[in-house]
Amino acid sequence: MSRRRSWVLVPAFFAIALAALGLSAYSGASSSQGFAPLQPVDFPHPVHVQQLGMNCLYCHYSANRSPDPGIPAVGTCMGCHTIIGPNRPQIGERAAFRSAPLDSLHRYAPPGQPTAWQAIPWVRIHKLPEYVRFPHMRHVNAGVTCQTCHGPVQTMNRVYQFASLNMGWCVNCHVRGYSLSEGLRAAGDTAGARAAANEAPRKARYDCSVCHY
Amino acid sequence: MTPPTSETKGVKRRDFLKVLGAAGAASASIGCGQEQVEALIPYLVSPDQTVPGVSTHYATLCRECSAGCGVVAEVRDGRAIKLEGNPEHPVNRGALCARGQAALQGLYNPDRYRGPMVRQNGQLTAATWDNALTLVRQRLAGQSGSAVRFLSQHEAGSFGLFVDQWMSGLGYGTHYAVDAEADLAVQAANQAEYGAVWPALDFGAARLIVSIGADFLDGWGASVPQQLSFAAARAKLTDAPRFVYIGARRSLTGLNADEWIACRPGSEHAIATALLGASGGASGTTLAQAAEASGLTEAQLQRLAEELSATRPSLVLAGASTPDASLVAQAVARINRALGNVGTTVKPAEAILSFGPTVGARELEALAREMEAGQVQVLLIRGANPVYTLPKATRFAEALARVPFKVSFSSYPDETSELCDVVLPDHHALESWGIAEPARGVLALQQPVMEPVFDTRPTGDVLLELARDGTPAAPGRFPWMTYREWMTTRFPGGAAGLTQALANGLGQGTLPTRSGAPAPAPGTQAPTPLAGDGDFFLVVQPSPVLGAGAGANKPWLQELPDPVSKICWQSWVELHPSVAERLGVHNGDHVTITTAAGSLTAPAWIYLGVRPDTVAVSLGQGHTAYGRYAQGIGVNAVDALGAVWNGAGQLALTQARARVAKAEGHSPLVSTEGSARQHGRGIARALTAAQLAAGVPGEVHHEFPGGPPTEFEPGLRSPAANDAVGELSRTDPRALGMYDPEHWSQMTARRWAMTIDLARCTGCSACVTACYAENNIPTVGARWQGRSLRPFHSADGSGWDTRPGANILKGREMSWLRIERYFEGGEDGESDFETRFLPMLCQHCGNAPCEPVCPVFATYHSPDGLNVQVYNRCVGTRYCSNGCPYKVRYFNWHGYGEPARRQYAFPEPLHLQLNPDVTVRGKGVMEKCTFCVQRIREAENVARLENRALQPDEFTTACAQACPSRAIVFGDAADPNWTVAHQVEDQRAYHVFEELNTFTAVVYLQKVNHPATGGTR
Repeated sequence: MSRRRSWVLVPAFFAIALAALGLSAYSGASSSQGFAPLQPVDFPHPVHVQQLGMNCLYCHYSANRSPDPGIPAVGTCMGCHTIIGPNRPQIGERAAFRSAPLDSLHRYAPPGQPTAWQAIPWVRIHKLPEYVRFPHMRHVNAGVTCQTCHGPVQTMNRVYQFASLNMGWCVNCHVRGYSLSEGLRAAGDTAGARAAANEAPRKARYDCSVCHY
Repeated sequence: MTPPTSETKGVKRRDFLKVLGAAGAASASIGCGQEQVEALIPYLVSPDQTVPGVSTHYATLCRECSAGCGVVAEVRDGRAIKLEGNPEHPVNRGALCARGQAALQGLYNPDRYRGPMVRQNGQLTAATWDNALTLVRQRLAGQSGSAVRFLSQHEAGSFGLFVDQWMSGLGYGTHYAVDAEADLAVQAANQAEYGAVWPALDFGAARLIVSIGADFLDGWGASVPQQLSFAAARAKLTDAPRFVYIGARRSLTGLNADEWIACRPGSEHAIATALLGASGGASGTTLAQAAEASGLTEAQLQRLAEELSATRPSLVLAGASTPDASLVAQAVARINRALGNVGTTVKPAEAILSFGPTVGARELEALAREMEAGQVQVLLIRGANPVYTLPKATRFAEALARVPFKVSFSSYPDETSELCDVVLPDHHALESWGIAEPARGVLALQQPVMEPVFDTRPTGDVLLELARDGTPAAPGRFPWMTYREWMTTRFPGGAAGLTQALANGLGQGTLPTRSGAPAPAPGTQAPTPLAGDGDFFLVVQPSPVLGAGAGANKPWLQELPDPVSKICWQSWVELHPSVAERLGVHNGDHVTITTAAGSLTAPAWIYLGVRPDTVAVSLGQGHTAYGRYAQGIGVNAVDALGAVWNGAGQLALTQARARVAKAEGHSPLVSTEGSARQHGRGIARALTAAQLAAGVPGEVHHEFPGGPPTEFEPGLRSPAANDAVGELSRTDPRALGMYDPEHWSQMTARRWAMTIDLARCTGCSACVTACYAENNIPTVGARWQGRSLRPFHSADGSGWDTRPGANILKGREMSWLRIERYFEGGEDGESDFETRFLPMLCQHCGNAPCEPVCPVFATYHSPDGLNVQVYNRCVGTRYCSNGCPYKVRYFNWHGYGEPARRQYAFPEPLHLQLNPDVTVRGKGVMEKCTFCVQRIREAENVARLENRALQPDEFTTACAQACPSRAIVFGDAADPNWTVAHQVEDQRAYHVFEELNTFTAVVYLQKVNHPATGGTR
């Protein structure tokens, strides 16, 4: 390669780096969007939410009163799963089967032996940087449905990060406002969504010091 | 590199790959990739009544000194993160001093014993509780009577009683309760003269306060209630008491006085008795004799005596540290009686019961002699550190070596526990149960606020376990399984009463006093002049920050500048300017003080507030053990003291003459002070009570055009900034955004502001430590944290500067809030001078010089009036710090919040204290006071959650909450329902540097001085 052409590499490098920077800033490439790790216990949200109709707040019990949504204590799982075990007998036309997820739970929490319980090392999916304050209760009490940010968790057999959680994504909602109708639709409440169709979007303060301190 | 050839055309594969690889690396480093995956660990069973992310508050007791203040511990997710005063507690009524705040760093101290230790092959090595207890049982077996002694740090309340009962129940010898910081002479005199060990002092009822060496703001007695009362008295402004301080050295208390009478050390007794005579009491000393003894003029004393008899009621306090201190205290108590102050300003009926009975150093010396004689077989020590606090002449360490078996219950590896054979570490006070009776009829409860940090056990439980088996105890004598059970039987109402009291930490009832415990008696020895040869008197004083040394292992306290000298991480010798000139000594030059008992060498600090014939040194430093933060810092002033006791048996801190000589060497003073003088800048202003009464505005420095100086308009802009022209003056709502007064968020409706009343502020610096605790401020002065400015030229070539406080020497301290201390007058070195204290923090200017210079918009003004620093935007240009006229912005030079760095300020488990609501800042970021924005947002969140509006004065900042002078008021100045909105309208209000049109949100209220009648200052 000629000496002249090797100089071309320098601007080329900067051009590519700049393009990469632009891409990463605006594409959400710096986000963990889509992160879907394997969890130590293969917890099926659809069974609990869709089939059994449990409310999110049953397990994430402080989402409406604390900045921290709370993850269920092992005791919360075992409140039911001491009785509901991995072996399901044949019930009418439903065949007997053995539940692997429940087996994995019972490895951490053997039923009837609370002293042998261990904490489940869940892999954290949604993580904001440490210089951001996100008070869950302000959002939940303002009527923001969980699905607005967390996506259709009720259908996720393996939970993944739905939104980018980048600042632009936050600010968009704070400035343009949250549409209750869309939030309810995301949560699967079509009747509620229709009823709320004419509600004005709910805006929130977007000053830096609201979240960064 | 590929050799250049003319034939090749186009980009070769290798070059393509190079570019691709480099660009890939660039985008990867820009994108930062995935965050490190963390685990979310759930509870096994969720605890009742706790919500993750929401604090729980527990009322308990502070054990950092004997006063027994009530604290409320804020506990988040099982960890205590902040201590605040308990507003319902009768002693401290919500306030808390710096030492109390720093109790958390004792709890999470990285050098705490993490479990029991047993001496093996001469070394203390980790052991199991079973092994350690078995060993103690074996060694206790067969011992009885006075062969077993117990030495404990006095703590208010039930523990002393418990130990007495344990010792006598098992037939053992004496229990010595000691308190190195207690003024036993005054306690004994108070008991004899007033019938109460520590009567309540009502400064507000007095018209004149005379203190003869009583440093009631420095830790003498119960400093928080004394400061509350003193500040409230001074806040009466024109009706406030005048305050005269008599002593050879001006302490923090002395600096708060309107007049300083600098008497010769050792002449306090002559002055006190002469004043007693002049007040109508029986006395053998005339004013002329006192004047001769004290080096004062008779006119000076005459004027004081006349003022004392003419101004009633008054309050006279004694706190001399000379060998005849008991006699001084007696004489002063009689002055108060003669002047009719008893019951008015000295209130024995409302006594503080936290003190005594304790024994002094004299009894410990007797114990040392018995130990040397082999009369003590087993010595149990809890909390006390006599090897450090006693003079070498007592040979306590040598005597300790003669005791066959020493058991320490210490939490920390201090000088005494390091010499013991077994260490059975006690729980920290915040992990323990206890009760105290701080005021008559009031029981204050100490309860654990969290699970123990380490494998420790409460000493009470350990003693009960030792009594249960093995030893010759009758089985029925110690039926309690734990100390808590024992305590419950003594609590009125038993377990039910205890449960009821848990809510606010207070119950009703009384505790028996420790009968039969040795108590100091006022001495009867004749006053003698201070002994020894030399041209100087050596005055040693307890440090207002470190006490007698117990505070030295807490980095917040090491980093807290001494309120008088502004020096931290160091010992210093105070010299009068004329002496320094005579000796050819400059600030930081080493000087050696030699007394008959020993000598010490430390850098000099030239100070107007010592007599020319006196040198002064503070206690607290010079530890040879006690953990990484204390060890090897400064000198122990006790080394220059001999075994001289006052009448009550307490170590006389002012006991001898000394020779002072310049020594080799120079250590720059680790001082946070710029200049001790204001140079006409009008930073800390004052006016006299007469001027205030006459409506004179006091010291006005510069008038500037524009609005009135204290105008607080709602919202962002100061009147000056509203004058903007051209494009900047656009006022269409779209351009204004949330700054539009009509904006739906109504964020501009508020203007957060603060007033600081300099008439109340005593300079105690409790607010500074509260700020460190609340805002995760790193300490930077430890010896391993100092980076050499010239990395390859440091002493050992390592690039590290291992002098204590090396970063502070470079001006890199991080104290978001600092106390500035300015001297006025006294330039000639002889005349009296005045001191002004001024807390300096980010002024949250309405027209801030830091904001327009930031190239990345990391600092800006929020619509609710805060000067915001956005850490994640900051790129560290430091332009803002250059622009700030107040110098309140602090740059994070070394990544103090990053665990992998040597400069990490929160070594495990200190990091458990970090406030989860505040970002731990990284390297290269500017930081500063935020007006506790996390508290503002939390209050807003709570109000919204409860569906109500924010209530006036509903919350406050950490500094205002802690302040034992109640000098700081925070709130919304745009809403007249908040207290601060009225305070900013005060006649005394001013802004610092208002001529710069900064329109600060911090308003100072001028100090009010009370000069002697006819005086000018």
